[in-house]
Amino acid sequence: MNTKNSRIIAKKELKSLMNEKTIVLAILLQLFIAMFSSFLLVGLASMYNPDSISRYSNIQYPVAYTGEPSDVLTYLRDSNDFVVYEMDLSTAVAALKERKLSAVLWIPNVEPDADDPIKITLYTIQNDIQSSIVNVKLKEILVKYEDRLREIRSDRLTQTPVTIIIPATNPSSDFYEFVYGLLIPMLVFMPAIISGALIIDLITEEYQQNTLETLMSTPVRFTEMIWGKIAACFILVPIQAAGWLLLLMANGIAIKGFVPILLHVSAGSLFLILVGALTALKYRERTNAQFIFSIVIVVLMLFVLAIPMNTANILVRLSVGSIGQEHWLFLILMISAVAILSYITTHYAKRVRMKFV
Amino acid sequence: MPGAIHQIKTIAKWEIKRFVGTMSGEILPIAIVLFVALIIASGFAQQSGIHLQDDMYTIGSDESITALITSGDNRFSVYKVQSGVSPEQGGFDLVLSRNAIYASPEDKGLAALTAFERDYSKYKISLYNREEDLFAAYPLWIEEEYIKSEIDFIATQSGQRAIAPPNPSVKPYPDTRPVTIPTPSSQIEVSREDLRTDLISGENTDSRVSRYAEVLASSDTTSKFKTPAQLSPPLPFDSIILIFVFIFPLYFTSQFFMMSIMNERIERSGETLLSTPVKSWVIILGKGLPYFLMMLVIAVILTVFIDASLMILLPVLPVILFFLSSALIIGMISRSFKELSFISIFFSTIATSYIFFPSIFANIHVVSLISPLTLIIYEIQGDGFTLFDYIYSTSLFFLTSAVIFYLAAKNFNEERLFNHHKLMPRMMEFIESVISKKWTKLSLFGISICTIPFVFMAQLMLLVLLFNFPMPYSIILLLFFAAFIEEFAKSIGIYTLISKRPDYLTWKNVVLGSVAIAAGFLFGEKLLLFATLAEISDSIFGAVLFASLQVLWLPLSLHFIGILTTASILKAGGRKFYLPALIISTVVHSLYNLYFILGWVG
Repeated sequence: MNTKNSRIIAKKELKSLMNEKTIVLAILLQLFIAMFSSFLLVGLASMYNPDSISRYSNIQYPVAYTGEPSDVLTYLRDSNDFVVYEMDLSTAVAALKERKLSAVLWIPNVEPDADDPIKITLYTIQNDIQSSIVNVKLKEILVKYEDRLREIRSDRLTQTPVTIIIPATNPSSDFYEFVYGLLIPMLVFMPAIISGALIIDLITEEYQQNTLETLMSTPVRFTEMIWGKIAACFILVPIQAAGWLLLLMANGIAIKGFVPILLHVSAGSLFLILVGALTALKYRERTNAQFIFSIVIVVLMLFVLAIPMNTANILVRLSVGSIGQEHWLFLILMISAVAILSYITTHYAKRVRMKFV
Repeated sequence: MPGAIHQIKTIAKWEIKRFVGTMSGEILPIAIVLFVALIIASGFAQQSGIHLQDDMYTIGSDESITALITSGDNRFSVYKVQSGVSPEQGGFDLVLSRNAIYASPEDKGLAALTAFERDYSKYKISLYNREEDLFAAYPLWIEEEYIKSEIDFIATQSGQRAIAPPNPSVKPYPDTRPVTIPTPSSQIEVSREDLRTDLISGENTDSRVSRYAEVLASSDTTSKFKTPAQLSPPLPFDSIILIFVFIFPLYFTSQFFMMSIMNERIERSGETLLSTPVKSWVIILGKGLPYFLMMLVIAVILTVFIDASLMILLPVLPVILFFLSSALIIGMISRSFKELSFISIFFSTIATSYIFFPSIFANIHVVSLISPLTLIIYEIQGDGFTLFDYIYSTSLFFLTSAVIFYLAAKNFNEERLFNHHKLMPRMMEFIESVISKKWTKLSLFGISICTIPFVFMAQLMLLVLLFNFPMPYSIILLLFFAAFIEEFAKSIGIYTLISKRPDYLTWKNVVLGSVAIAAGFLFGEKLLLFATLAEISDSIFGAVLFASLQVLWLPLSLHFIGILTTASILKAGGRKFYLPALIISTVVHSLYNLYFILGWVG
């Protein structure tokens, strides 16, 4: 096999990708998915954890307390989040309807140590985001009251949980798990999947646009052409993955194993690209090849993610630095799998070529 | 008309034959094998769990109770240590020693601490759930009553308050006479064991999947009565998963339609059909019909499979049409397979997130109704939806699909299908085809109206993305980008004219054309707002997006000045000044909005 010919093919494909500017769309897409998932997890989380945004902390919500007196009234009065009014139920609900109140609580006449539970009725405004935030704040108060009641009734409990003193936690630390445990593996693997789909387009295009015959009349051999295309798709992956990681690092997100991450991603992506190439060689037609490839990808991903110590998990652990040297072993395993698949691809390409002539 | 129907039927039959021809034989057996593999794989994944974040954190412990707490959570790898070792000394994220937990001060340690705290409360809950005396373990129950407020969601979005800070010494008093509310009963009308079953079932609803969810909401409960811990609004995660069950098969099927159009162009198999007197819209409908039916059948099968009411097909319908129309236009404009893949993936991601995102707010915020999928969630929950809800959430989809179908039908001819121009010139050719030579200004007016649904979709997407930024910036960015999108949409017609028919654009026509575009835009905005977005436009974000609607002449002059700026710069400087022209008109537009909405100037 002449690598020079493959290089020429690879260059040609990369050039046409740049010309079509489709790669820009691919990068925009990744950015969009990243921002969208960050919105989903971080934006929504902060909405449900209003404390994580400081400007909410000085807002006071007006709530009405109705029914029998209880500790809840004291807790509400002590809280900085609420202004409490003792009112009668009907007036309070009418005021709530006009949004003069954020919530109305009704507390029944049940003794704290009664056999029956205490059922509080909570009136809030339907379909309203502010109600959700008020709910989260009220939850703190009600959980406190629940703890108090549980203590009063503790002699009726049979099992006592182990007590562990836990220092105050910071809800914004959810961001950490999202970035390292989801965003990083997703961002570095997205280019790999895109490249897998790309190789199918590149190969089937030669068949369907009838450009293969022209190409075969040049000194470029069929396998050289296939490998040229594979190389073009492959080279894009580490570049994009490195780009994302550097971008994250520039935003103050420390990433521990930069080089090993790229090595693992490269090996994994080459595997996917080879699967794509094989599918394309088998069907020589885009609709079928893409259809089969997308199902194969989903099946593969489900399988791989369900195995402990999978590549995505290794990436997560590399990025937070909680993995030892054992990941090299898995890299070698992955590379051997890629080597086997490369061998199969080359031979299959030769066979297909024979059929074609 | 009967002739057209007959032709559509014939073409549809051909299309089915062609499709079956390519799909059968080699593809069917492997597809079946893969589907079986898919079922096995998902079963395996469910059994074994998703091992993505395994061993992310390390925890050193001098006691065996750690295992009790973190047993179901493979994020932690546990090491045995001597008492009194600090996290820094041992190189751990957490150390559990003598019934107290210590975290390393780094971000990772804090994140591990949060994870541990959640595990600890889960452990406690699992003990309480099995207490003989359930009402000693859970002495407090909450029943939520939802009140419909007449003044619906004015400025309450993203936690903004419509009212001034409450005065502690003055009780709020309603303006209207209060209606007597019956005293709520103090009894829980559900048996103790039913409550327990509900608590236990909420305990471990696939902890690995819900771990991503638990950040957002506490355990989902179907019961009317909640413990305080269950109080945060449950997000409809089950329903969201169901949505993916619907969207992906539909998207896949639309891809076959896209490829059929593309193949027609590559293999030039469509040429013969185009040379016959059959109308282009007949061909498109004929070719699209089998895929439409296929998608409908898939939707029906899925609906029956998940045991839902067939009513949910109603909101699925506009989504099907939207996917089909976009598949059609993408199949018509792409030059190569690469372009086809990238444009379609890009477009479908944006469309899917547009459909998916608002439905997260189902049950929380009225804004969720802009997505038809919210209606599906409501239907699955058993709440149902009204005709008004239906119009409200699907009209944008029907409108955009209609506009795209029209554009495609207009361009479904040899000249467009078989040339090899680049993407941008091609798109311009498409637009040029709908600009009439004789009634140019009227066409500009019409194009302006047709861009409105797309503008709204794009602006709503902006809302999602800009949520990521802190408050004052998000509003400013939203203001700017919303203006940019509007200016861009308005400039499409003028830009096409500059490149295709430069002679037409005399200064007089620049001014008159701008008037036509501004009027069309305003008219479209008004029309659509009346139909759908009246509610959203009441919120703060809505005020920014649709600011220009208070008085008629003001927005008209704004739209006019915006497009006139773009058009004049294009006229004077030529096409290379397109981007600067857009930016300048955007700045003008934004300044206007700043002045009138936020009153920042003066």
